[in-house]
Amino acid sequence: MFGMRSDLPLRRDTASRFVLWLVMVLVFMAALAVTVNSYIGVLLNDWNQSVTGTLTVQIPMAEGGDKVTQAAVNKVVDVLKRHPGVSSAEALPRAKIASLLKPWLGDGAIVDDLPLPALIDVELRDDTPEALAAISASIKTAAPDAVIDDHRVWLNRVMSLAQGFSVLALTIMVLVTGALGLTIVFATRASLAEFAQVIEILHVVGAKDRYVAGQFARRALVQGIVGGAAGLALYAPALALVAWLANRVDPEILPNATLPMSHWLALAVLPLAAGLLAMITANMTVRRTLSEKV
Amino acid sequence: MALLRKKDEGYSGDTVKLDGVGLRYDDGPEILADVSLAIPQRSFHFLTGPSGAGKTSLLSLMYLAKRPTRGGLTLFGEDVTKAKRDRLAWLRRNLGVVFQDFRLLDHMSAFDNVALPLRIAGIGENVVQRNVSELLNWVGLEDYKNAHPAVLSGGQKQRVAIARAVVNRPKLILADEPTGNVDDTIAMRLMQLFVELHKLGASVIIATHNEPLVARFPFPRLHLDDGAVTVLPPLGAASAAAEV
Repeated sequence: MFGMRSDLPLRRDTASRFVLWLVMVLVFMAALAVTVNSYIGVLLNDWNQSVTGTLTVQIPMAEGGDKVTQAAVNKVVDVLKRHPGVSSAEALPRAKIASLLKPWLGDGAIVDDLPLPALIDVELRDDTPEALAAISASIKTAAPDAVIDDHRVWLNRVMSLAQGFSVLALTIMVLVTGALGLTIVFATRASLAEFAQVIEILHVVGAKDRYVAGQFARRALVQGIVGGAAGLALYAPALALVAWLANRVDPEILPNATLPMSHWLALAVLPLAAGLLAMITANMTVRRTLSEKV
Repeated sequence: MALLRKKDEGYSGDTVKLDGVGLRYDDGPEILADVSLAIPQRSFHFLTGPSGAGKTSLLSLMYLAKRPTRGGLTLFGEDVTKAKRDRLAWLRRNLGVVFQDFRLLDHMSAFDNVALPLRIAGIGENVVQRNVSELLNWVGLEDYKNAHPAVLSGGQKQRVAIARAVVNRPKLILADEPTGNVDDTIAMRLMQLFVELHKLGASVIIATHNEPLVARFPFPRLHLDDGAVTVLPPLGAASAAAEV
C-alpha cells in the first residue's frame, strides 16, 4: 500500500508537513494518557488487595507509660485472636512502626521521643459490615480508647482521586482523537483546495470520487503511522526517565508497579490507530467535499 | 480497450443530444439559453462563435464538468442530467478532452500524463506500457516520454494532451481551442491528428476562433451566438476535401 503510485503531488503539499508533527505530539499525549490510566489501574488493584479484609487498631500511649499501653495491647490482641471473625491479630513491633515513619520522619532519635500509638495489624476472616461492627464492639470493650481503622475511608478517597485521574486520561484520549480528526479534516480540505486543478483533470479523465479519496486516505494512513511511530519514539525515553525517577522514590510513598502487557499492547497499537483514524477521516472528508460539487 | 460497461458498449442514436438546455452560473444571466442540437455518431464539427458566446461552457456540459440548469442532456444515449457522480465518471471514460492550456499534470512525465486515463480505469500495466508507447510514437513524441511538461514546447504539450485524450479510444473527442497556443504548422499537424481519430470512428467537436483553419476542412460548424446554436455548412468544403 505504501508503495502505491499517487496521481496527486501530495508530497509537495504544504499542509501535510505540519500534520506529521501534530500527529507525533498527539500520539505522545495519547501514550501518556494510556500509561497514566494503566498505572492508576495497577495501583488501585494493588491497594485494594492489600487493605481489603484488614483492620488496623491504634492503642494510644497510656498515661501510665509503656507497661500500661502494652497491657492494653495484649488484651486487645487476645480478644481479637479469640474472635471468630478474625483470622490473625498481631501487634506491630516499635521498630516496624519506626520503619513505616522513616520516609517522613527519617531514622533519627525523634521517632523514639514521640508518643507513638501501638498498632495492631488484624486480618479478617469475615469483613462484612455486621462482622466489623461486632469486632469493633469487642475491641472497644477491651480498650475504650482504641481507634479502629478499616481503611475504607482512606481507600475510598484514594480511589476517587484515582478515578478522577482515569477520567482525565480518558478525556485526554477523547480530545486527542478529536484534535487528530480535525487536523486531518482541515489538512485534507487545504490539500483539496491546493490540488483542485489536478483533481479536476483526474475527474475529466474518468476518476471516481473514491479513487481521489483513496489517494488522500493512503497519504493520511502513512502520516498517521509515521507520525504516531515518531510520537512513540519520543515517548519511550520520556517514560523510561519517569520510571527511573519513580524507582528512586521510597516504595512506601510510591509503590513500584509493573505495567501490564495490555498497556504495552495499547501503546504499540497507537500509531496504527492514529493511521486508521486519519485514513477514515481523510476518505470521508474528500468524498463529502467532492460530492458537493457538480 | 473499450472502457464502457457491457450495457454501454453499443448505443443507438446521437452521441450527444441537447434539448432546450440552459446554463447559468449561480445567479448570473444565462450563458446558454434553449440550446438544442444533436451530434451524430462518427461526426466532425467545429464549434465557432465570438469570445464569450459560451463555447467553453457548452463543451463543459458535454464533458460533464457542469450540469445544465434546465433542459435535457443525453450522452451516448443516456440522460446525464440526473446521473449519479460515479456514473458520470464512467461516462467520462468514453470522452477525450483537449484544452487550450493543455492542463497536463506538471509533476508527471509525458508518458505518465498519457497513461493517466488507462491507469484510472484500472488497465493492466503491460497494456498501459504498450499502448502509451505506441501513442507517443504516433504523435511523434517517443523521444520525450520521460520529459515533464515544463520542458516541452507548446506544440509538444498539445500533442501530449491529445494523446491523453485519445488513449482510451473515446467515442467523443472535445477540444477547446486546441490550436490556440501553437503556430500554423503545428496547428495543421494537430488537426490532422483529430481527422485521423475521426476516421477511426470518434465523434469530434473542436471549438476554435481560427477561421482560416476551419476553412481548410470540410466539416460543418456549430455557431454559437447570444447563447443559441446554429448549424452552418462547412466554411471551405470545396478546397478542404483534397487536403484532408
